[in-house]
Amino acid sequence: MMLQYFQRLASVTEARISKYPHQPNARKKFALEIAKLGIRLYSGEHRVAWCGVVAPFDVLSAMNVTSCFVEFVGAMLASTGTVGMFLEESEHAGFAADTCGYHRAVLGAAMKGMMPVPDIMIATTCPCSGGLAAMENLARTFKKELFVLDVPSSDTSESVRYLADQYKNMMRFVSDRIGGSIDEDRLRESIVKSNRARELMIEVYRLAQHVPSPANGQSLANFGIVMALFLGTDAGIEIAQAYKDEYEEMIRNGKSGVPDEKIRLLWLQNRIQFKHPLIRLLEEEYQAAIVIDELNDITWDAIDPDDPFTSIARRTITTPLNGKISQRLDHIQRLSKLYKVDGAVNPCHWGCRQGTGARGLIQAGLKEVGVPVVNLEVDCVDTRNFAEGQLRTRLEAFMEMLRSNPTAHGA
Amino acid sequence: MPQGKIHRVGHACSYTPTALIHAAGFTPYRVLPVGDSPDRAGQLLHDNLCPHAKRILDRAMDEDLPDLDGMVFMNCCDAMRRLSDAWRTVRPKQGVVLVDLPVSPTDTSVSFFAGELTRLAQTLQEWSGQSFTSADISSSIDAMNEMAELLKEISKRARKGTLVGGSSRLQGLFNRGATEPLGQTMELLRSAVGAAERRPTAQNGVPVYLFGNVLPEPEAFAHFESCGVHIAGDSVCTGLRAFNRIGGGNSEDVFWRLARGLLDGPRCPRTFHPSQPGKIAEEVLAEAQACQAKGVIGYTMKFCDPYMSRLPGIRDALREAGLPLLLLDGDCTLRSIGQQRTRIEAFAEMLR
Repeated sequence: MMLQYFQRLASVTEARISKYPHQPNARKKFALEIAKLGIRLYSGEHRVAWCGVVAPFDVLSAMNVTSCFVEFVGAMLASTGTVGMFLEESEHAGFAADTCGYHRAVLGAAMKGMMPVPDIMIATTCPCSGGLAAMENLARTFKKELFVLDVPSSDTSESVRYLADQYKNMMRFVSDRIGGSIDEDRLRESIVKSNRARELMIEVYRLAQHVPSPANGQSLANFGIVMALFLGTDAGIEIAQAYKDEYEEMIRNGKSGVPDEKIRLLWLQNRIQFKHPLIRLLEEEYQAAIVIDELNDITWDAIDPDDPFTSIARRTITTPLNGKISQRLDHIQRLSKLYKVDGAVNPCHWGCRQGTGARGLIQAGLKEVGVPVVNLEVDCVDTRNFAEGQLRTRLEAFMEMLRSNPTAHGA
Repeated sequence: MPQGKIHRVGHACSYTPTALIHAAGFTPYRVLPVGDSPDRAGQLLHDNLCPHAKRILDRAMDEDLPDLDGMVFMNCCDAMRRLSDAWRTVRPKQGVVLVDLPVSPTDTSVSFFAGELTRLAQTLQEWSGQSFTSADISSSIDAMNEMAELLKEISKRARKGTLVGGSSRLQGLFNRGATEPLGQTMELLRSAVGAAERRPTAQNGVPVYLFGNVLPEPEAFAHFESCGVHIAGDSVCTGLRAFNRIGGGNSEDVFWRLARGLLDGPRCPRTFHPSQPGKIAEEVLAEAQACQAKGVIGYTMKFCDPYMSRLPGIRDALREAGLPLLLLDGDCTLRSIGQQRTRIEAFAEMLR
């Protein structure tokens, strides 16, 4: 089912791109690479690693391993509208409905044989305890040994060294299981590509800051988190280049992502992964543009090709979702100013302790910089708990409030 | 640090290196999720966060705590990390430290954890204004080990049914060991060990094995017993697991010894061996069988991801071995245990 889905997605998207070959087609190119990744994961022809969210995908790519964080599958199942049966499967097996929907969906998919048995499993302690537990459960299901990257909470030289050493051990772990030695040249090449994609992404984000923004509610949805899967590859560079070209062209032509943009919004943490009408409501009724997603940012320095593991360790440790909430608050306050946002939307994903757990602290932190927040009670994956009417009412009230109290940030 | 006054440093996790706090001249004070502070933590932490973390924050917001010179949080799970964030907000002037706790006891992670403990020692020195040596830490480890041994002995008696006062008295002693100055507790424990044992009762209760996270209320144990079960063995964060004997180890580095001892000790599911995923299920089964339990009660906090995610595996392992399991959701109130009375009684009845 998943393989066919990705194959169909790839062929439909390719056809759409070929219709307008001279346009940047940024979102379509992004979707196409997601489809191709899905095909590689499900075709049975590639070495596959199921991973935690902050695994070093560029390093794994250099080792010729198709790698992906498992939450990606939960999101894909939600976007296809089929997630319900997988959630039910895991709940019938005893996984509580109070745990994260992404993880329940993935566990259900594995139980139903909808997750390919991986060659490698690499868990990460960041961003959440739930994700780590899900990986342990998947390893038990697949009867696989797990490698855990234990991500320290603070950016100290000891922490960086600790994580950098773990990457070296991880490479040995992978190498022992797929055979072959570690190719230093391949790793260097991957790092160079990773850095190139990083530079382009910085440009894309800079362009998205423009008032009015070329971004709209969909164009950069899930971008930053999924782009991590393409770091170290040509695909990553091509996608970022397409976005840069598209946004430059839009700004040149005076075109904004949301026509007549009036309100600029920051979207916190994850998107709601299934089809829902809220983005359309924001754009059509309030001319509100989601100009920045919290996870769409480059928070790391370029990777040093001569000492990649130290740089990658620092990249991971400084991820805003890691460690103390102050790290995350500093980041979203900075984004709020950079993107001149009027308000923030926080989809409080039920089951997410690390993100949603800090809801009150986030609200207080954004208040310090004059950014009001609307908290939406949702499960970003589980359609069964989507209370559209209530959410619509909350959002409408929030937008009315923003509209009647224009801030200095506003467009 | 002024003498004559008890200086306490708070903590909230059974992985906390209490010997280090003791060596710095402080009384380690475990902030237990007890009392009747009003529910206000929701202002900062979402409703879906573990009630253990929220009850502790409620106590801090309600000033239902003795004076604390600082607070040590272990980075053991998302809820505890968020609690440390919220604590800084409600007590901005108090010293707070978050100590990273690796998930597995490999040599590399033990070394890193030893570094974290060294950093903690420096913080404790700053809080106390006085230095302490490796020898001080070693003797605190010895003293804590002695307390652990005494509690182990008393626990054995409670499990055999020969401790006067039974499981609820035992829990009271655990709580005192976790919150009171070591000297006072040791005296009490020695006297408890020295006291005569009662005759084993006819054991009206059915022997069960209890596992879970936090269950600090002595009345909860009396409640279990009144429902017809006898707790013949247990592994909970507020019980013996919090009084882990630190082994000698081969290292001369006392921080390494402490790190190894804590990571190798009885564990909650947040710590695991990556090469043996799901092993906690086998461990629960083995411990239940070792104490000849006829059934198992799992008592876990709502929204505790580390436990909730491992329960299906535990349930499968127990089912295969033919050991019935009763799962109870807790919220750190006696009320929630009271509401489970019928289920516990029915479970005991079924096991007879």
